[in-house]
Amino acid sequence: MSASGTFGYGLEFTPFYDISRLGAVIVKGLSLLPTPGNAPGRIVETPAGMLNAIGLQNIGVERFVHEVAPRLEDAGAVYVANIYGRTTEEYEAVARRLSEVPALAAIELNASCPNVKEGGISFGSTAGGLSGLTRRVRAATGKPLWVKLSPNVSDIGAIARAAEEAGADAVTLINTLVGMAVDPRTRRPMLSNVTGGLSGPAVKPVALRMVWEACKAVKIPVVGIGGIQSAGDALEFLLVGAAAVQVGTANFRNPNACVEIVDGIRDFFVREKISRLDDYRGKLLLP
Amino acid sequence: MQAKFVHGKILHNTGRGIFYRMEVAIPDRIDFVPGQFAMVSGWPGNDPLLPRPLAIFRSGGVRGKGTVEFVYKVVGRGTALLSGLHAGDPLALTLPLGHGFEFPGEDRSWWLVGGGVGFSSVFPAAAALDGQRADFEIFLGARTRDQLPPGEWIPGGAVPGRVHLCTDDGTAGFFGTAAAALRDRIDRGKSSGLARVAILACGPREMLKAVAELALPLDIRVQVSLESHMACGFGVCWGCVTAVRDGEKSVYRRVCREGPVFDAKGVVW
Repeated sequence: MSASGTFGYGLEFTPFYDISRLGAVIVKGLSLLPTPGNAPGRIVETPAGMLNAIGLQNIGVERFVHEVAPRLEDAGAVYVANIYGRTTEEYEAVARRLSEVPALAAIELNASCPNVKEGGISFGSTAGGLSGLTRRVRAATGKPLWVKLSPNVSDIGAIARAAEEAGADAVTLINTLVGMAVDPRTRRPMLSNVTGGLSGPAVKPVALRMVWEACKAVKIPVVGIGGIQSAGDALEFLLVGAAAVQVGTANFRNPNACVEIVDGIRDFFVREKISRLDDYRGKLLLP
Repeated sequence: MQAKFVHGKILHNTGRGIFYRMEVAIPDRIDFVPGQFAMVSGWPGNDPLLPRPLAIFRSGGVRGKGTVEFVYKVVGRGTALLSGLHAGDPLALTLPLGHGFEFPGEDRSWWLVGGGVGFSSVFPAAAALDGQRADFEIFLGARTRDQLPPGEWIPGGAVPGRVHLCTDDGTAGFFGTAAAALRDRIDRGKSSGLARVAILACGPREMLKAVAELALPLDIRVQVSLESHMACGFGVCWGCVTAVRDGEKSVYRRVCREGPVFDAKGVVW
C-alpha cells in the first residue's frame, strides 16, 4: 500500500503504472474543510531521510468525495481515506461523511501528525486520548477503522492496545518522528514550522522495532510503515509480524517504488518457495 | 506529454567553466515544453535521498531512441555527485515535469531574462522562438564574466543586438544586473511601444521580482520560472509550494506541478 501523504490523491501516479496493482491507495489526510497547510519551507533533506512540515494541506472531504473518489474507483484502485480533525467532533463528521462512500475500503484515523497542533498528536500521544478519540470515531462509522500511531511515545505497545480496545480494526505505524534542522549561518530553523516529521530510510530501524513491539501487544493486524525502500525492507516488516506494509518517502525518489516492491516480494517468495504469506509473516527467529 | 520514470545512461558529462553539460541516452524520444524539468538521481545509496530537479535543456533522438540534455551548476551534494559521473554511468529520471512557458499565438517581441544558471530554462525557449523566426532578445545576468554561459550555447545569438550580457562587476557587457539592463531596454522601447512585448524569466527570486516590478505596471505580460526545494517533483509531496493570488486570497500552489512557470501577476513575492 502507499502511505498517506506520499501518494497525493493517487491519480498522480496513473501516468506511471496501473494503481489497481496496489493492495490499497491511502489518500492524503482529509479534513472537514480545505486546509491551506504551513508556509514554505516545508521540506528539508537530512542524511538518508527528509523532514516535512506540509501541515496537512488538502482539498477537504466534500471535494474528495465528489471529484477524486469516483476517479479512483474508475482507476480500479482499492482506497483508504486517511482523516484528521481539529476536534473530536470534526473527526466524527469526516468519518461519517466518508461512510457514505461505498467503494472506500477503510478509514485510517490519523492520530499522529506532528506538524499541526490539531493533527491528532494531542490525541495520539497518550493511551487515554487515543482511546477516547478512537471510540468516538468507531461509533461514527461502519467502515473498517485503522488507527495510525505516533512513534513519539514512550510505550508503543500500550498505545496500540488502547486503539485495539477502543475498537480499531487495525493499527498502522509509524508516522514520522519529530525532528528539526537549523541553518548555522542564518541561525534560523529550516522549516517554517520549526519542527517537522522525519521519514525515509533513516527511521527504518526505529519503525521496525516499534512494529515488532506493537505486533506482540495486539491481536488486530499491524500495518508496518517507515523507511521502506525495497522489497527487502518490506520483508523485514513482515518478518516481525506486520500483516501488510505501506511505502511512503520512497515514492518521491522513484514513482514506481510501490509496484517494484510488490514484484520484489513476489519474486522472493517464489525463489524461497514460500506459498503462503502466513508461512513467513511473524516468523522472526530470535536469539 | 505524460511524465515517465526511466533509466538512462550518461553519454557525456562535461565541465565548462562553472557549468556542467550532461547528455543522457533514454529509452524513447521525449518532447518537452521549455521550462519543464526532470528529477534526476544517479548515485548509489540513500544519502542524498532525493533526486534533483534539472531544467531540460534539449531533447533529441531518432528511431525510438531518445536523448535528453541538461546544464547545471554544482550547488550542493546532489549536483556535486552528479558532476562526478561519467559516460556510461546509469541515471534514473522522471520527466518531463511541470508547467512550462506559454507562447501565445499573437505576434510579439519576446524578451528572455536569465540570471545565473536560470539560462538553462530560458535557452530552450529562445531555441523554440529561433525556430519560429520570432523576434526575441536575451538578457543574461551573472556575477562575473566567467559565470556567463559560453557564447556558442546561446540560441540565435549571432544576430546583432539580440544578446545583452550583464555582469555585477562589469567584467563583461552591461555593468549591472540583468534586471537593470531590462529597465534600460524598457525605457528605450517606450517610444516605439511595449504593447506586444512579453517577458520570460528564470533566475534568482530577487531578479524575478525586480523584472515583475519593472514590467507589470506597464502591462507587459511576464512569465517567471520559480525554484523551490522539491522532494518528488510531480505533485504528491506538496513540499515545494509558493504563495500565489487567487482573487483576494493568497493560496499555496505547487512549484513542481502548477509551476515552475507562473504568470508573474499572480505570484506573491
